[in-house]
Amino acid sequence: MAKQGGWAGKVLRVDLSTGRISTENTVEKYRDYLGGTGIGYKVIWDEVPPGTKPFDPGNKIIFGVGPLAGTGAPCNGRTAITTLWPTCWPKPLVASGHMGGQFAAGLKYAGYDAIIIQGKADHPVWLSIMDKKVEIKDARHLWGQGIRRTTIEINQQMGPEASVAAIGQAGENLVPMSVVMNSYSHSAGGVGAVMGSKNLKAIGVVGTGSVYIAGNKEEWEKVIKLHLSLLGANNQHVVPNKPQPWAEYYNPGTRWVAAKGNKWGAAQPPIDTGPCDPHDLNRIAYRTNNAAFFLGNRAWKYTIRGNGCTGCPIRCHTMLKVPSVATKYGIPEVGQNTCVGLNFGRFFFKSFPDGAIGETAIEACMVGMHLADDLGVWCNYGQLQRDFIKIYYEGIIKNKLGEAEFKTYSWDKYEKGDPSFLFELLPRIANKEGELGTALGLGSGYMLERWGIPEQEWKKDYNLLYWKMGHPKHHSNEDAGQCGVVINTIYNRDAQCHSHANFTRNGLPIDVQKRLAAEVWGSADAVDAVGAYTPMNVYKAKMAKWTLLRKELHDCLSLCNWQGPWVASPLKERGYRGDDSIESLLYSIATGDKKSRQELDEVAERIHLLHRALTIRDMGTKEMRTQHDTIPDWVLVDKAGRPPFTKGTIHMDKADLEKGMEMFYKELGWDEKTGAPLAKTYRKFGLGYVVGDLEKKGLIP
Amino acid sequence: MKKEPISEETEKSFKTHEPEIIRLIQARSEAGRLVMAEEVYAELLRMGILGEDKNTFVEFDAFLKMMVAQNEDLNEIKDGKGVPYYYSTRSMVETYAQLIVRRGQDPYVLMAEVVRENSQRYPRPVPVDLFGDSPFNLTREEISACLKELASLKEYQDIQQTTTSVGNVFLYSRQYLNPDYAAMLAEWLDVGQSNNP
Repeated sequence: MAKQGGWAGKVLRVDLSTGRISTENTVEKYRDYLGGTGIGYKVIWDEVPPGTKPFDPGNKIIFGVGPLAGTGAPCNGRTAITTLWPTCWPKPLVASGHMGGQFAAGLKYAGYDAIIIQGKADHPVWLSIMDKKVEIKDARHLWGQGIRRTTIEINQQMGPEASVAAIGQAGENLVPMSVVMNSYSHSAGGVGAVMGSKNLKAIGVVGTGSVYIAGNKEEWEKVIKLHLSLLGANNQHVVPNKPQPWAEYYNPGTRWVAAKGNKWGAAQPPIDTGPCDPHDLNRIAYRTNNAAFFLGNRAWKYTIRGNGCTGCPIRCHTMLKVPSVATKYGIPEVGQNTCVGLNFGRFFFKSFPDGAIGETAIEACMVGMHLADDLGVWCNYGQLQRDFIKIYYEGIIKNKLGEAEFKTYSWDKYEKGDPSFLFELLPRIANKEGELGTALGLGSGYMLERWGIPEQEWKKDYNLLYWKMGHPKHHSNEDAGQCGVVINTIYNRDAQCHSHANFTRNGLPIDVQKRLAAEVWGSADAVDAVGAYTPMNVYKAKMAKWTLLRKELHDCLSLCNWQGPWVASPLKERGYRGDDSIESLLYSIATGDKKSRQELDEVAERIHLLHRALTIRDMGTKEMRTQHDTIPDWVLVDKAGRPPFTKGTIHMDKADLEKGMEMFYKELGWDEKTGAPLAKTYRKFGLGYVVGDLEKKGLIP
Repeated sequence: MKKEPISEETEKSFKTHEPEIIRLIQARSEAGRLVMAEEVYAELLRMGILGEDKNTFVEFDAFLKMMVAQNEDLNEIKDGKGVPYYYSTRSMVETYAQLIVRRGQDPYVLMAEVVRENSQRYPRPVPVDLFGDSPFNLTREEISACLKELASLKEYQDIQQTTTSVGNVFLYSRQYLNPDYAAMLAEWLDVGQSNNP
């Protein structure tokens, strides 16, 4: 058999109940599903029956990577972790979490495209993978430890090169709001407790192999260079945030914050990020400083450098050194993370004594990262923090807790914005301690149910950004009007989709964005300027379909959807065009399976269709449009009473969104009345096998 | 002003120094600066590349103009008084070069023009702090003075301010953005994007 490019070739299956370890041929069994979430959905469809609960031994957890993981392709460090989702309310359904770091490459170099974990160990264990040598090891000495110590101990056994994905106390205690984390700060939320339910503390992997590239080496290098040249800063922001000599455009909202005089002040010696001309590919890592983006110029003096995933020059995890926190809070003075992880502690507070981005806010970030990333607590894209602010300031906590428990918290500290309050709160969430800790650890949906609060209350409150099923919106109408809304209806957790937002936030003027939109989605009318929305049209539906499929494709290839797709670039000489075929170019050369952009998108469509089939099967209804693809009230309400499509409001029109859903369903070959895919659509994409099962249950329109 | 013709011999002599001239212009552009012919000439003299007796500035000026016209990587831009400046298009774009030459105007005029351009094109308001950064480099006092000037002049009444929820001031032109829209966009840029990462 010819040597396979891209894929490592084996899927590892570990049964923790029996201790049996086996492998399957990836290409034979899963090629049509690429990798990542594709393998995850297929395993759940084939092997996890409806009605299984997340913490049942019968649930499976699939760590999947794709054919581009561990290659030289930029931004290839993502591992997709698919399972039945414990915070999905009122009924757990399939979903996936995604972590960056070095785990994906390590797994490939060890010879595996995925790990299927099934069953439940009778005592705490960890999984050691050293190439072909795979062992289930005793983890009783690690149980009760945080992620940091667990990682260090496993690294001491396996060697410093091992990538360790571990859970903290939150996962062990079956707290649904828990993560698995590797490489110090790269976490996947929602799955920690599923590992905990299997008594699986961690997976350590050392791979000494490599990924074979099937195609011509020169062509491969050429595509890699093209891809690198198209990269912007984090989230594919392609213009700097202030005027630069080389930049025709600038935009104060972008994450391209490098500039002459902006220095990584805690580096020895300090490093000036400089003007960062986009043609200088050796300085891509200088462009982004997410601490400075979120916390302002004060963060520069604390910045050591950026950190990130295998093969990614963006380095979106900013490493900070804040000496004051060691003496004030007794925590390490160095911490790193990105986005909500970076702001984990800060987002709990309404205000700080020295302002929203003062020294105290930075300290809150450091304390939050230290605690959450060791205990393994998940934030559900900031919903935990938004919920907390609401339930405290509206008196819900006081009402729901007994007086004795309420008094154990230093609420004066909390109101004053004292980061030390986090030491009282976060360990109690991880340890399910008391009513408040337990309720917050359930996630929004189950917390509301526990406290008898109708979900509708959350769906009305714009400040909460809550969407449905226990989860918030993730780049919705605030970013991309109808396209954002449609995308947020589809998944069983927050959408985690950036394809659309990475375009609308790229920083280019609206006329340039419209020119690019016309090239990619067929008309300039596919996009509007933010807050200047126009009624739904077919091009917006096409963009929404593309948005969805690119997210799914990235999750299967191990490319980062927080950074891609790459339809815009910072290059003036290209008219700011990116290349929408970069994924298919990389895939074709790496695997030797030549596929056009359209052909690869069709594979992504098959994979997403399987996600839809799973959702329908496990919900037991085909009425997706009314039962699943719902839109919260806050999207439809404008505080100032402005009509939809008025400049300055992001709120949307109900009838227009109904039309939008129908157009979107039509683009995907789904029934416009129910939102369920048609039998012919399943068959068209090679999923004929789901039709029989769904038909028997009356789940095909 | 009509330039003196340049002899073939002088042109040939200058031409041998083209690489140094290009490097010099490029270095200035990379640093975010334009360069005048007098500055290039003085630098070449300082470096000993040109001899003062042999090559007059008038001849050099004519040569530089010609050289820039023939070189795709170099460009000339004139300020409001018609004074030419040079830059390398490999390191600087025309829009940035324009911002630099427009600094010669009253700063409040430049501020108003930039605000109008941003409001019209992107569309968006701009943070007032932008004018403290390069290439504007205005001090806080100068920015305050500009804002007062704009508020007092009839022809700039379209330039308005909006303050975000965290207290930062943004400027916009009412010719292109209504107050509601400007306020929403300022909040989105200043607060919304980081609260919706």
